[in-house]
Amino acid sequence: MATSAKFDLDRGMVITGKWRHRRYRVERMLGEGANGKVYLVQQDSRLMALKVGLDTADLQSEINVLQALEKQQKKGNGGSPFLYDVDDLKLRSGKEYPFYVMRYVRGTKLPAFLAASGAEWFPLAGYNLLLRLADLHGSGWAFGDLKVDNVLVADYGRVELVDYGGVTAFGKSIRQFTEIYDRGYWNAGIRTSDAPYDLFSFAVLCVQLFEEKELYRLTAGTLPQNRGTAELLRLAQQSQQLKPFSGWLARAFAGGFRDAAEAADAWNVVIHRIGRPSKPVPWWTKALFLLSAAGLAASAFWLAGGFG
Amino acid sequence: MKQILLITDGCSNVGLSPVVAAAQAFSDGVTVNVVGVLDGGDIGEYGAKEIQEIAHAGGGMSRMVNTRQLSQTVQMMTRKTVVQTIQQAVQKELKSVLGGSGALEELPPEKRSEVVRVIDELGETSKLRVALLIDASASMKPKMAAVEEAIRDLMLSLQSRQGVSELSVFHFPGDKHGDDATLDLDWTTNLSGVQSLFPKLQMRGTTPTGPALQQVAQYYRESMEERRRGGEEDEMRSGYVG
Repeated sequence: MATSAKFDLDRGMVITGKWRHRRYRVERMLGEGANGKVYLVQQDSRLMALKVGLDTADLQSEINVLQALEKQQKKGNGGSPFLYDVDDLKLRSGKEYPFYVMRYVRGTKLPAFLAASGAEWFPLAGYNLLLRLADLHGSGWAFGDLKVDNVLVADYGRVELVDYGGVTAFGKSIRQFTEIYDRGYWNAGIRTSDAPYDLFSFAVLCVQLFEEKELYRLTAGTLPQNRGTAELLRLAQQSQQLKPFSGWLARAFAGGFRDAAEAADAWNVVIHRIGRPSKPVPWWTKALFLLSAAGLAASAFWLAGGFG
Repeated sequence: MKQILLITDGCSNVGLSPVVAAAQAFSDGVTVNVVGVLDGGDIGEYGAKEIQEIAHAGGGMSRMVNTRQLSQTVQMMTRKTVVQTIQQAVQKELKSVLGGSGALEELPPEKRSEVVRVIDELGETSKLRVALLIDASASMKPKMAAVEEAIRDLMLSLQSRQGVSELSVFHFPGDKHGDDATLDLDWTTNLSGVQSLFPKLQMRGTTPTGPALQQVAQYYRESMEERRRGGEEDEMRSGYVG
């Protein structure tokens, strides 16, 4: 069980691993998760992210997931490693904490990114996020705790997932989740890990991006037994940006996609539909249609003749 | 694995000390967790201390929360206790194999990985029983809707596990005079057919937390014996981690 002991690593502090003796200099805190704190650190002028855990078993469990993911990625496309080091650190108080060091991901959260770059980047960022999820789903994992805080966006809508504490092998119970993104909370299914679980959270995240106030009103003012996806979908239809995706969102809320790869394809279809607003049908299309209709009639006549 | 989860908002005031009752339950292999529900009301220093001590004696953990956080807290506590219970059992094994304290921290990181994989696997697959013991004294009345929601939410999480998970619900003081606690729901793996958990609850003044805890521990013993008579092999497994 996580001890309630508070700790802080100060800027400039040098951390030395107890077992492997690697040294890191602390730059600043990047964030605080459910089971630890993440710091930006430097080693030989290379920036990395270092996560300190409150509980050894809990953090090791997360490390196991990262190691398994890394192994699978190496087999596949040889993606860059994200786990550099695993060790323990000792604070001046004498207390020891486990930590691991991973790749540092630069980026901002989706709301800030969209505010700075414009909502027209939303469809692409969403697509890229679906592709990230598709990588995980392809290896048999759900991300689990998909939420605004765990998605970072870099230039041109490139997306990275951070905080792998919720990643769960398909078929097991989701290790970590946040209520409003959880399909169980919306009376839309149980908490056993599968690909549709993430896609449900993704859909809630979309609603949150454009109808945040309404979403919170919904969670505060609705009786638990009345919470449902119909309400979420109603919010999506209110939003100009989400309207084109409402069919897609309805399917995600209903658990209708096999995995994120299928969902990404469907998302892409919507993007292209938005990109090409319906124009009047040009004359040559009509001519082509008439021509082929005539051809069809002719061949039908010929077939009938053949049998007769 | 066997757990009791006590949800209360105040001090016990009748009968056996709940700290003693919790310690007894723990000796029987049942972990006791406690949630104190605040919601504007003041549990008081004495109440807060009692809640903490019950959890300590019961080998579990305690939290003070508002009704809004109740579902998440209950879910998280249950999950963490499962891991902790298994961790303790594994630690005992490690100690006998490797010497030392058997603590995970003494192993180098690369060796922890395998041990934690075993802990995670057992945590997901072993059989789990959680008995909820709900304080239904008068001051809890406005909080009962949130309590019921938390119970349903917990059932959902339990259903999502790979291992068999069962839940039962008690409230105290009991309905009949002289009863310390009343069983609202016998062991079940599903709540979807249950309309209301506490249909006609009479909220009364006394808070016999200790005797109620004792009664739930007794209930565990009885259902264990029933199973044993039924010759169910599964108990062996939960005996290992319990």
